[in-house]
Amino acid sequence: MQTRPNVELTKTVLTEPIAEALREKVTIRNLNFYYGDYQALKGISLPLYDRKVTAFIGPSGCGKSTLLRILNRMYDLYPGQRAEGEVLLDGENIVDPKTDLNLLRARIGMVFQKPTPFPMSIYDNIAFGIRLYEKVPKSEMNDRVEDALKRTALWDEVKDKLHASGLGLSGGQQQRLCIARSVAVRPQVLLLDEPTSALDPISTAKIEELIYQLKVDYTIAIVTHNMQQAARAADFSAFMYLGELIEFGTTDQVFTKPRESRTEDYITGRFG
Amino acid sequence: MTTAVVEPASETSSILRRNRLMDALLRSLTRAAAIIVLIMLGGVIISLVDGALPALKTFGFSFVTTESWNPVTEKFGAAAPIYGTLVTAFIAMLIGVPISIGIAIFITELCPRPLKRPISTAIELLAGIPSIIYGIWGLFVLAPLLQAYVQPALIGTFENVPMLNNLFAGPPYGIGVLTAALILSIMVLPFITSITRDVFETVPAMLKESAYGLGCTTWEVVRYIVLPYSRTGIIGGIMLGLGRALGETMAVTFVIGNAHKIHASLLAPGTTISASIANEFTEADGVMYTSSLIALGLILFIITFIVLAAARLLLLRMQKAEGRH
Repeated sequence: MQTRPNVELTKTVLTEPIAEALREKVTIRNLNFYYGDYQALKGISLPLYDRKVTAFIGPSGCGKSTLLRILNRMYDLYPGQRAEGEVLLDGENIVDPKTDLNLLRARIGMVFQKPTPFPMSIYDNIAFGIRLYEKVPKSEMNDRVEDALKRTALWDEVKDKLHASGLGLSGGQQQRLCIARSVAVRPQVLLLDEPTSALDPISTAKIEELIYQLKVDYTIAIVTHNMQQAARAADFSAFMYLGELIEFGTTDQVFTKPRESRTEDYITGRFG
Repeated sequence: MTTAVVEPASETSSILRRNRLMDALLRSLTRAAAIIVLIMLGGVIISLVDGALPALKTFGFSFVTTESWNPVTEKFGAAAPIYGTLVTAFIAMLIGVPISIGIAIFITELCPRPLKRPISTAIELLAGIPSIIYGIWGLFVLAPLLQAYVQPALIGTFENVPMLNNLFAGPPYGIGVLTAALILSIMVLPFITSITRDVFETVPAMLKESAYGLGCTTWEVVRYIVLPYSRTGIIGGIMLGLGRALGETMAVTFVIGNAHKIHASLLAPGTTISASIANEFTEADGVMYTSSLIALGLILFIITFIVLAAARLLLLRMQKAEGRH
């Protein structure tokens, strides 16, 4: 109880300069989502700030992943799933059926719970995405692949076996390969859906370190079950429960001084 | 006192002994079942070789290379049925494989949900149709249609194209090598389709989503993710279909024309190994005639064996190339 005022003090000092530079990269407004008749998201509104990391936390089935999958319209693959409301990417509503999905997904990359390397070589795993959008000469392609692998701290580990299968890497390496693959097509937003849930602690630490470096260039949204991970990696946190957004704020505020009692209960492990 | 102590002990030991006995029984029964398969396979090979021996001794290797098949002079050569078997199977695969893979892709990736089940069921029903029905349908429905419309059009179209004009030459009989190949392609279709559909469905949704997530179109996901991922399964399906196409008897016998001749033209009548055997076994009177037919069977057995072995080898090499390290 006694430490609280101190924390609050540092908070106000810290958040002020951040607030000035914030720009909304993605704006979610009154978003509802349905799996058939079941409403999975209820009136969600929140921003994703440019070049910041936003964590979605909450118990299983609260709609975190669903929310993430709306941002790149992944739900379009499945009949019976639909979204209502607005999701603005730089002011343009991406929930609009007229949105070009391939271009949208080039701008918004996604990494999944489990590593999903494509059944091809390490080099081609990266080059594949680039080739979808650009005709790049061989030498430039080599540079792009090297750049993507260096950004994900994978280069030194794989530079001697670029043409070996991506399936031969360890789980953590595979996941970094998947991040490299997303980064290679130069998206603006990266969606990470529990990217470390299948990884050991050392690989997890590497991915978190990576997230820290990537936010210099990208707006990042991460779904995580790991409270510490959210606290370590995210600038902003959104707590969701039963399809509703309970609380959104800076990670420091949400974790140290939650406005809602349900947030506090979840964070302190009283439920979920 | 002593009896009270001994009795439960002997009881457990008797239970243990019975369990051991049951296990030994199970082991020997299942082993016997497995060995019976080997014995039967060996028996078939031995009797095939034994029956074929007179013909092989008389004609030597020229049995395989001689086209003429003359029961009157008892001069037999297997070149025509071997050629017919390989060509009909090849054309059947050429037509059947792309269509099967196309259907499988449609069902797994593109098909609206309400259509999925009816199409799958229809394909399974296609597999259940007895081959004799394909035979009479081919003879009474398909062959006349081909004769009236398709074959004249083929002849006309390729008349002035070098090479191809030889493939599609001569009078349109309706029945012939091409008709048999068409029937075969329909017959192998359900097998290849259902196997490829099953392996397509084993591609993890998350893997496909990550390709879609990069901005892939459905075509790109199929071409670069689904097909490479399920390559080995597809080849397995194709080989199963090929095995069926090589050995199919009844339907082919109906529509191929049963002529022991090798024609350049696909429209001409021909024969296959299994069709020859089915057609002529009842009239084979001389020792040499019967022996030649059995030799044909042996050759079919060898061809099928080579196909299966080649498939195995191909799969092994592919697995090595994928090299999980």
